[in-house]
Amino acid sequence: MNADAPRPFRGIVRRTARACPLLLAAALLCGCWDRTEIEDRAIVLGVSIDKAPPEAENEEESVTHYVKGLGPPASDLIRVGVQLALPGRIPLGPGESGGGGGNDPQKTVWVVDVVGHSVNDALMNLQQELSARLFFGHLRVIVVSEEMARFGLENIDDYFHRNSEVRRMAWMMVSEGEALSLMKASPKLERVPSLYLMTTLDEGIRMGKFPQDYIGIYWSRKSKLGQEGFLPYVKLKKNQTLQTKGLALFQDSRMVGATKPLGIAVYMALKGNNPGGYSAFVKVNGTEVMTHVTHRESKTTFELRDGKPFFNFKMAFELNLEEKLNDELNIQDPTTIREIEQSQMAGAKKLIEEFIGQSQSLGSDVLGLGEYVRAKAPGYWNRNVRTKERWQRMYKEIEYKIDIDMKIRRIGMKAE
Amino acid sequence: MTKATRDVTATQASAVLVSTIIGVGVLPLPLFAVRAADTGGPLVTLLGSVCALIGLLFVAALGMRFPDQSIIQYSERLIGKWPARAIGACLIVFFALLTSLTAREFGEVVVTSVLKQTPVEVTVIVMLMLAAISARNTMSTFAYIHFFYVPLLLVPVLLIVALSLKNAELLNLQPFWGNKPEGMLQGILTIAALFQGSFVMTIVIPAMRRPAKALSVSLYSILIAGGLYVVIVIAVVGVFGAQETRKLLWPTLELAKATSLPANVLERLDGAFLAVWVTAVFTTLLSSYYLTSQSLKQLLRLEEPRIFTFFLLPFVFVLAMVPANIVKMYEAVLNVGKVGLALTTVYPGLLLVIAWVRKKRGSAHER
Repeated sequence: MNADAPRPFRGIVRRTARACPLLLAAALLCGCWDRTEIEDRAIVLGVSIDKAPPEAENEEESVTHYVKGLGPPASDLIRVGVQLALPGRIPLGPGESGGGGGNDPQKTVWVVDVVGHSVNDALMNLQQELSARLFFGHLRVIVVSEEMARFGLENIDDYFHRNSEVRRMAWMMVSEGEALSLMKASPKLERVPSLYLMTTLDEGIRMGKFPQDYIGIYWSRKSKLGQEGFLPYVKLKKNQTLQTKGLALFQDSRMVGATKPLGIAVYMALKGNNPGGYSAFVKVNGTEVMTHVTHRESKTTFELRDGKPFFNFKMAFELNLEEKLNDELNIQDPTTIREIEQSQMAGAKKLIEEFIGQSQSLGSDVLGLGEYVRAKAPGYWNRNVRTKERWQRMYKEIEYKIDIDMKIRRIGMKAE
Repeated sequence: MTKATRDVTATQASAVLVSTIIGVGVLPLPLFAVRAADTGGPLVTLLGSVCALIGLLFVAALGMRFPDQSIIQYSERLIGKWPARAIGACLIVFFALLTSLTAREFGEVVVTSVLKQTPVEVTVIVMLMLAAISARNTMSTFAYIHFFYVPLLLVPVLLIVALSLKNAELLNLQPFWGNKPEGMLQGILTIAALFQGSFVMTIVIPAMRRPAKALSVSLYSILIAGGLYVVIVIAVVGVFGAQETRKLLWPTLELAKATSLPANVLERLDGAFLAVWVTAVFTTLLSSYYLTSQSLKQLLRLEEPRIFTFFLLPFVFVLAMVPANIVKMYEAVLNVGKVGLALTTVYPGLLLVIAWVRKKRGSAHER
């Protein structure tokens, strides 16, 4: 029909025809399929995972499996708690009252829990009850109960590793006792509870209280042939505060033990993580003083001795004197300072030996000493180790030597 | 057309090559490298780029001998009309396949990580349409498009690498040759196959202002693109370790996800990275699409340069939809890539030897 059109019109028709693909592309490129209103999203801030008793199976409806008994046995049931942000209630700035939610943490989030055979099963059960789509892009904290961790985290790791929304900067932690209670906790310092859990550990890194151990780092460590992963081991205390109790030591995906809080300091010392953040009592001449580590330095070297890996840990600490328990010591005397250093050196050595001894007996090489062997002596590794299981066994027999240099630099504002 | 406009400068030609090489392959690259030789990944990538450089040098040397023609045309003078046409047809089919797999790989990444509800067909066809529309331009516009996008590709990737290197550990990269280097040779070929877009050089040379610079253009562009690839693999393996990289489908994307701008302005850079990567895919797709349509035109001795741009679209689209799932798709990517090496490296090598032996050369004054 265009053939009859007068000449100037034909040009326009042709030009319009040419613009069509462009318009189509513009319409298709804007991504309308994935349009989601923020109110339609259930933003997950925290997830807790506990083992559930087999009786809890009656609680579960057949959402992902039609026949009861299909899927893992009832003894593997888990209870997943989810902390959802309430739209419009999350305070955006420090001064804001938060759109009506006020300062009560319980009003900014909503904690729901469900039972399931696996993480995804439980989340699907939950989705069946929720109007909004679960969104994991802002997931900051995953809390796993100790019982669950000792059972094994393979399924949990897999789910969160596979999910493209989850950040590698989220924290995963192991709680002593029930994990769900951490989701329900209402600490006063932050208005969003799971942000409090996250801040505790993030600030821990800055104060030298905890090493970087985001979920992504934990996954990387766990994957390595000559290293095991660890997670923060925490406990909810009576003031609704979170105590970092130590490192939860893993072998593959299974928690095998936990260190004491000072174990964290030892780990960080061996790794040379800075800044220093721990204080300790030091016995000198029958009385005690407390010192605070400000700077750590560490070098691990490795050699083969009689066909066995042998490690040398060389460490240097800088300390501040923080308090004396009584007036018996004269700090002005250089020999006293020397004595404090000597005594702390012996104490630190003991702590380190205890830490390595514990990890050896558990077969959990959290320090990644096997990686040194794999990286520096590949020939030896290929001949004698090769697999992770083999290294787990060998790790129990490795020998090492510790060299520590302690230096007290400052004594505070008091002269003696 | 090619005789009339010889206005592509050496810098532009390098830009074309660099932005063509950097494409979808960036995302799974560290996985391929690590599968071949775990911690030896960076070394494999380096050797892979050297291998790709050799192939590209063959193409460049041939282009310098026949500065007015592309491989479709001069191969007829070297090995006879019909054998050359048969292999030419294979080349065209191969690049159509490469185009379709690139588009599909792009679609899969987008569906998995960003637009989860958008059907993969839509993503693929939109991308192919963009390439088809842009492939209607002349060679000099084509070169300008690439030249314009190159900084956009290089800077963000280098930024992510630089920011992530603070989390890298040297131990993750040792031993440099890998603990189990048996898969090295296969890995080198796999990585070299990721560079095959650079074959577009064969149609760029006839439009170059000074075809004599083809060799240095090839050298520089592989240096830049290969260098970037090696740096990416070093960063990924350094940060995650070889074993963890093995578990990631798109390690480079995961690296962007794990990297944050200083002071946590942006806590994860995968969104920003994907935005840039779309451009990278577009330029790659454009090159292979352009190469396919131009070669088809030359094979059939047609004059109208745009004749095949839209005609190819349905075929390429259907090819893209053939792999049933993402695992099959990667199998296809790897296999097609390796077969392609015979066409893009061995074949030009043979042609070059024949040209030497038969003392054939074609220059502007001769014809």
